[in-house]
Amino acid sequence: MREGIAKMTPIVKISNLDKYFGRLHVLKDISLDVKEREVVCLIGRSGSGKSTLLRCINFLEEPSSGIIEVDGVKVDGGEKGKAHRGLVHNIRLKTGMVFQEFNLFPHMSVLENVIEGPVIVKGMDKDKAISLAEENLDSVGMLFKKDEYPLRLSGGQKQRVAIARALTMQPKVMLFDEPTSALDPELIGEVLNVMKKVAKDGMTMLVVTHEMGFAREVADRVLVMGDGEIIEDAKPKTLFTRPKDPRTKALIDRYRSGEN
Amino acid sequence: MNQAGTSQAELLYEAQQRKVRQFRNNVVITWIVLLGLLIFLFSGPIQIDTDFIRRNTLFIASGIGETLNISVLSIVLAIILALLAALGRLSTIPPVYAVSTFYVSLIRGTPLFLQIFFFFLALPQLGIVLPGLIAGVLALGLNYGAYMSETFRAGIASVSKGQREAAIAIGMTPTQTMRRIVLPQALRFAIPPMGNDFISMTKDSALVSATGFVHDVMWRATRVGRAEFNSLEALIIAAVFYWMMTLILTTFQNRMEARLARGDR
Ligand SMILES: Nc1ncnc2c1ncn2[C@@H]1O[C@H](COP(=O)(O)OP(=O)(O)OP(=O)(O)O)[C@@H](O)[C@H]1O
Ligand SMILES: [Mg+2]
Repeated sequence: MREGIAKMTPIVKISNLDKYFGRLHVLKDISLDVKEREVVCLIGRSGSGKSTLLRCINFLEEPSSGIIEVDGVKVDGGEKGKAHRGLVHNIRLKTGMVFQEFNLFPHMSVLENVIEGPVIVKGMDKDKAISLAEENLDSVGMLFKKDEYPLRLSGGQKQRVAIARALTMQPKVMLFDEPTSALDPELIGEVLNVMKKVAKDGMTMLVVTHEMGFAREVADRVLVMGDGEIIEDAKPKTLFTRPKDPRTKALIDRYRSGEN
Repeated sequence: MNQAGTSQAELLYEAQQRKVRQFRNNVVITWIVLLGLLIFLFSGPIQIDTDFIRRNTLFIASGIGETLNISVLSIVLAIILALLAALGRLSTIPPVYAVSTFYVSLIRGTPLFLQIFFFFLALPQLGIVLPGLIAGVLALGLNYGAYMSETFRAGIASVSKGQREAAIAIGMTPTQTMRRIVLPQALRFAIPPMGNDFISMTKDSALVSATGFVHDVMWRATRVGRAEFNSLEALIIAAVFYWMMTLILTTFQNRMEARLARGDR
């Protein structure tokens, strides 16, 4: 599909990741490699652990045990202390995240939202941050609203700004957690188009989604999660035509019947 | 059919608007009647000493500056203390959490009037004699800070978890997240109640006059009232001034709230 994936070393490497919420075992010994420029979609039933897996990668959830490695930064889950926090910070700088609920900062204009990270976190020169932000806002088609406040934007517009905000941190990997699930149906397309563009520009992406069309068209691999495990890992074409696990088949049938 | 539906809706809307207007007019008329009644009472049936009023209005009015002065200083102190107490309440460090809850509990568990006298009468016994204004500001500021910390806490709680997560995801430290993302939104949430608190403060500041060391509107009114046995007139004058201050401040506050409600920021 896109060139140059095969030869790459993994940019995200998850080894033996376990996550408990209290006594609930949510992620069970997950190991996963994602290569540079690869687009990986995660699907699976509600509660299967998709969000938790994604959030363990940038430590929004602290793994109970296991190792997370992003672009050479290797962090042991379940550790504490200053050194650990430093490594976690480095991982967060290498990952951008897009949330279902957008989470734009309502007290800042679109442009301020986008330059906040580079200026405050990275200490980037403000003029440089603005030109970078404007470039990214332009590429998601939101430059014309740069002085507007989030309250005045549609859901689709908010999510496109949120994508620009994440991109302006110049991450190595983008994590999307159901980026279109909070949108009215007619606004989903514009966000998916932006995501396709980001993928085409060579970004490594992990996407939790119910958009099977997107997975089929854009993903290099689709992972199916079930009860805290990856129960299937295949190219979209294989997965959709010849699912191995009966749970995958059931899931795909559900999507086919448009039930989500 | 659609046409008829629209015009019916318009008719309903107009009828509703008429009712709203009517209600407002009746309220205004009643206010004017009540005010007229008050003025009538004091100009005939209740004998008041207009000469006293003429001689002392200026003296009492010149306490407005002191009243506002003490209110502004106290509210500034209260805001700082409230912020610290609210943050302390969120702290995971036990002593910090304890100091914050101890402060709020102690202050809210005792009368404001007692706290004021504590600063004016009890501290001197320990050899600490504070100037009247400072003692008053400390007492009022500490008291209001304890109550306002709840407002700030609610403001901080009103900022969604998603906001924090977005900040953390772009690499912000907890301090940066609090300062740049959570507090600005919490303060915006807290502005209307803070306005109410300031208005209450202008009136509660009158309590400080009881100690005799702060020459605000209330102190001046009681002083001339007692001296000439004209407390009725003196207190009426003071009441009018407090009321006017409140009305003016409320107008400001309504305007500010309307601006915030427009929500373009
Ligand atoms: N903070 C939390 N505390 C306790 N339990 C949690 C927490 N977050 C998630 N869980 C539980 O962990 C399991 C996995 O949740 P997760 O959100 O990862 O699922 P998901 O696959 O993303 O589901 P969905 O499609 O509904 O978003 C669920 O049983 C959920 O109830
Ligand atoms: Mg989820």
